[in-house]
Amino acid sequence: MIEQSYREEIFRARAEGWHFAGLHATSNGARVRTLLADSSGATRLETVGARDGVVPSIVDLFPAAGWDEREAHDLQGVDFAGHEPLRPLVDHDPQLDRWTVPVRGYGAYQVAVGPIHAGIIESGHFRLHVVGERILHLDARLFYKHRGLERAAEGHTLEEGLAYATRACAACAVANGVAYAHACEDALGLTPHVELARVRSILLELERMWSHLNDLAAVCSGVGLAAGNTHFAGLTERARRLNAKLTGHRFLFGTVHVGRSELTLHRDDVRAAADEVSTLRTDARRGWRELRFNRSFQDRLPGIGVVDAAAATRLGAVGPAARAAGLADDLRRSSPRLAYDGFDPVIPERAAGDVQARIEQRTLELEQTFEILERLLDGRIGPATATPGTPKQLIGIGRVESPRGATTCVVERRDDRIERLRLRAGSYANWPVVAYAAADNLLPDFPLINKSFELCYACADR
Amino acid sequence: MLTLLRDLRRLRQHLDVAPPERAASLAIRHVDAGSCNGCEHELTLLSSPHYDLQRFGLGIVASPRHADVLLVTGPVTSRMLEPLRVAYAAMPEPRRVVALGDCSLGCNVLGTAGAIVGPLDDILPVDLRIPGCPPTPEVIAHALLGLISPGPH
Repeated sequence: MIEQSYREEIFRARAEGWHFAGLHATSNGARVRTLLADSSGATRLETVGARDGVVPSIVDLFPAAGWDEREAHDLQGVDFAGHEPLRPLVDHDPQLDRWTVPVRGYGAYQVAVGPIHAGIIESGHFRLHVVGERILHLDARLFYKHRGLERAAEGHTLEEGLAYATRACAACAVANGVAYAHACEDALGLTPHVELARVRSILLELERMWSHLNDLAAVCSGVGLAAGNTHFAGLTERARRLNAKLTGHRFLFGTVHVGRSELTLHRDDVRAAADEVSTLRTDARRGWRELRFNRSFQDRLPGIGVVDAAAATRLGAVGPAARAAGLADDLRRSSPRLAYDGFDPVIPERAAGDVQARIEQRTLELEQTFEILERLLDGRIGPATATPGTPKQLIGIGRVESPRGATTCVVERRDDRIERLRLRAGSYANWPVVAYAAADNLLPDFPLINKSFELCYACADR
Repeated sequence: MLTLLRDLRRLRQHLDVAPPERAASLAIRHVDAGSCNGCEHELTLLSSPHYDLQRFGLGIVASPRHADVLLVTGPVTSRMLEPLRVAYAAMPEPRRVVALGDCSLGCNVLGTAGAIVGPLDDILPVDLRIPGCPPTPEVIAHALLGLISPGPH
């Protein structure tokens, strides 16, 4: 496609209601592909060839493409005409003024935090521009954990490539793995059998269960409420023990495969798991009820780190963060490859897009997850496969609702080998949203705002 | 809140790690040098009611200047090499380095040669190795307690 018609195509698609779902350059930087999706779950890929290493930017049409274009510049050497200034994202060499937004004025100064943080936290650098205690702007520099996973996966077989997607992040190992498996199966023309859809949905919800419990513990720790933190940390531990009991691994490693599932569980073990889920549900509810009536906790939450529906749409926010702003987007509503029939996304009554709404959103989603697990954990689990049924393609796309939002995987293949792997996790989409949410708030509230999103650095850095 | 405290008391009746024979303490500085976040998630649960390592004097400190132990996760990425060295240099003597998880030990590491400069052994003198992908909180607990009072736990 030539440059002008690429932009026109994207412009027209936007007017028709398509939204941005990811952008990547091919391995050698010769082409750039933009993935668009609509509310029914349909996707389309718009490709443009680079002329002398340059393609037109779409960041004015979809601001959510900002990070993707900066990454394609740093890793594949593509320049984006119209993206001014094209700040480095993955590249850490340039001077401070090249990667930060200039903030000047009376009393403005910078607070630098990280990459090493004062606790058990992943590595990343935040540069907060402040006046007094008021945050004017936040520049986040991640990619300290960049391992080059996508590049390293190139040339490997589709089966081998799974490790690169799942090991990107332990907290999203299942979501990333299923997104990758779906992309490969899409490319290979395979459709999952009903049982395969069921097993993967169970695994995805087990991951969401411990993840959301962990997020509630984290937000309590963010405001220094030890009793709340302890309660939900205890539940997180029990959820991980359940994972280990069912699959042999606390983070469910090794459970996802391309085109098949090998997990076998006796009917009685499945029933015992459903019972444990019910107990966790009761205990999580009790913990949340206590938090609801704790004034010193609740007083910290409303009106902090606001991302309203308009901002969430513009910035391409996904997952609980978008739903807490009132956007009822959830890929589980349109996942024919999984067992979510009749799923309806839940949003809080007071969808204010602040810290309070994001926390309440986790509790609402936990209820759904407990419900789904109790329904799916019924009867023995046996080996399952995906069967040929759709045409084969050179590019496959997989999209999965991870605990942090829409995770998209694109696999470009030649025969059975990976030519290009792109994993765009929910965390990647939401990091720029965290920066937006921090502005205008007080510096001591930043940890709380950050924890209300509880994003992975590992997923984004890859 | 009383309910939560009552829960906590009940949970602590079933602790999975026995107390050490003699009391001591260990101040730990954690550095993530490119992990997948698995080791961090397990490490976090060391302070959960099932383990509660603080009762043994094990604490995570906010500065390397207060630390006895540098606890490193991940395969050591090129971008974390410098911050890792700075953190180590800032520690008072005597100091010890713990490699947490298979990646830090150079086992089954995925990534490109340019992005990864580990294993940790090539960069800092490692005193204790805790294998696992990731090691469970129980394994981490026993290994760290061994640093306080040598002998079986």
